[in-house]
Amino acid sequence: MMSVPRETQAQTPVLSCTDLRIEIGGNPVVDGTSLSIAAGETLALVGESGCGKSMTALGLIRLLPDAAHLSGGQISLQGERIDQLSERQMNRLRGNRLAMIFQEPVASLDPLMPVGRQIAEALSRNDTLTSTEVRTRVLDMLTRVGIDRPEIRARQYPFQLSGGMCQRVMIAMAMIRQPILLIADEPTTALDVTIQKQILELMADLRRETGSAVLLITHDMGVVSESANRVAVMYAGRIVETGSVAQVFARPGHPYTAMLLRTIPRLDGPRKQALPAIAGAVPDIRDWPSGCRFHPRCPLATDHCRAKAPPLASVGVSHETACWHHDRVATELT
Amino acid sequence: MSTPIVSVHELKVHFPIRSGIMGRVTDHVRAVDGVSFDLMPGKTVAIVGESGSGKSTTGYAVMGMQEPTEGQILIDGHDRARMSRSERMATMRRLQIVFQDPVSALNPRMSAADSIAEPLQIHGVGTARDRRIRVQKLLDLVGLPRSAGGKLPREFSGGQKQRIVIARALALDPQAVICDEAVSALDVSIQSQILNLFLDLQSELGLAYIFISHDLSVVRHIADDILVMRAGKVVEQGPTDDIFSTPRHEYTRQLLAAVPRL
Repeated sequence: MMSVPRETQAQTPVLSCTDLRIEIGGNPVVDGTSLSIAAGETLALVGESGCGKSMTALGLIRLLPDAAHLSGGQISLQGERIDQLSERQMNRLRGNRLAMIFQEPVASLDPLMPVGRQIAEALSRNDTLTSTEVRTRVLDMLTRVGIDRPEIRARQYPFQLSGGMCQRVMIAMAMIRQPILLIADEPTTALDVTIQKQILELMADLRRETGSAVLLITHDMGVVSESANRVAVMYAGRIVETGSVAQVFARPGHPYTAMLLRTIPRLDGPRKQALPAIAGAVPDIRDWPSGCRFHPRCPLATDHCRAKAPPLASVGVSHETACWHHDRVATELT
Repeated sequence: MSTPIVSVHELKVHFPIRSGIMGRVTDHVRAVDGVSFDLMPGKTVAIVGESGSGKSTTGYAVMGMQEPTEGQILIDGHDRARMSRSERMATMRRLQIVFQDPVSALNPRMSAADSIAEPLQIHGVGTARDRRIRVQKLLDLVGLPRSAGGKLPREFSGGQKQRIVIARALALDPQAVICDEAVSALDVSIQSQILNLFLDLQSELGLAYIFISHDLSVVRHIADDILVMRAGKVVEQGPTDDIFSTPRHEYTRQLLAAVPRL
């Protein structure tokens, strides 16, 4: 690993971005996002489809699809700017210090290569290990991600493994190089709940062991509450609230967060009664509302909200929200 | 006591596994292996389970989209296997299905009004004018503006598309709707709108639902009775409150423990 003294490591975030902007065809899909993640921490980026959460993640590691491009902002990895790096430098970085896992593990793996070889490939990209060393480390890693009989599994192809097992292979591939940052984009959305629980626990264990930072992209508030330390809520390309999971869930400061938490059916909630719904639909990128983008769906909205976008402002210890009426949220929306 | 709309007795659906160059049947996948339940008018029975549990196949068999290997399915007390073609057509009007993905359920070139009117046309219900009036009523019922009728699917959001699909399912005035993961693909803020719509329609029209889902929080919210399925078999079944307060089967307990808490 890097020879960074302990204190510096604690102070400098593993990854940070300020005022990140990403455009698709002239439309800002990510509109001034600022984030930072510390070592050993899981930050959840949560939001509905089209809010820009996946684009933010892809932009951070400069893996945007061709149609999208970074149009502004700064990205730093361990204090060094990476937004200006060449594709080659970026590639080296992605192999060494960054790792990413996606929603569809089966689609992310090469169908024609045994999974053991795929993990070995991730490992041997830059290292000079002997083939025996590589083999030992691959089998170790398979065992650590909870795969039984690793010698047999390593020789199998993705189609011979279940979805949950393929996601374990993806995690093995991601973690074998001990990345300083793991980006997980909806890693459990395609999996059954019992498998989801195992995969989230596995990610938490590996994070604790390696001290990696994790950026978890999800739409599922339950997943956020169980596996993240901090949360950033995105709506229509902007972060509308950020803070510790405990604070944000106990005292949401943005109407969107508050209403989202109320609208989800709970295992301990009332049954067969109307859920407090959020009216309207998620706005389209090409037609984002003026001012605060949540105003057409917000019961607290005033003319001021329609005219001017609120900035993120502190409402508690490292708890920020972008709402002109955040002082009314607790009494009127929770 | 009234007759159940749907009554399923010891339903089995087995798929043959063929192997070798002769394609001989060497084994069977027991996708559904002995499922029984009654759906009473105005009630909701949920089938929960993980992928491969047989929950959707059970729904397809009830719908008549999948031939049962064994067992009986009674629609309004009549055995589906013994029905004539015209009787089967008539049961199709009483039972409808809504799937997970509204995008693939709608013809992209057909206006919302035409999609909603299609079942009426197929079953030869009313004149063109009657059908137009019915479509407007259905749009009201699912909470879409009447102006939505002239638009194409691509002009709607995911939640609105699912409303169109629901309006179409209601066109023939069914007694029961099978909802196969009908809210799973929707955004969280839209999911609750559609769940509320299902509840409203139930109290307004006396609809019954077979609600197939992997999401236990959603199922708990909407269902009166629950079947928990695993590998084709029902491991536990009973009133929703009992299943959630005192789950008896180990697998039900595991499922409940795996649900992330807010």
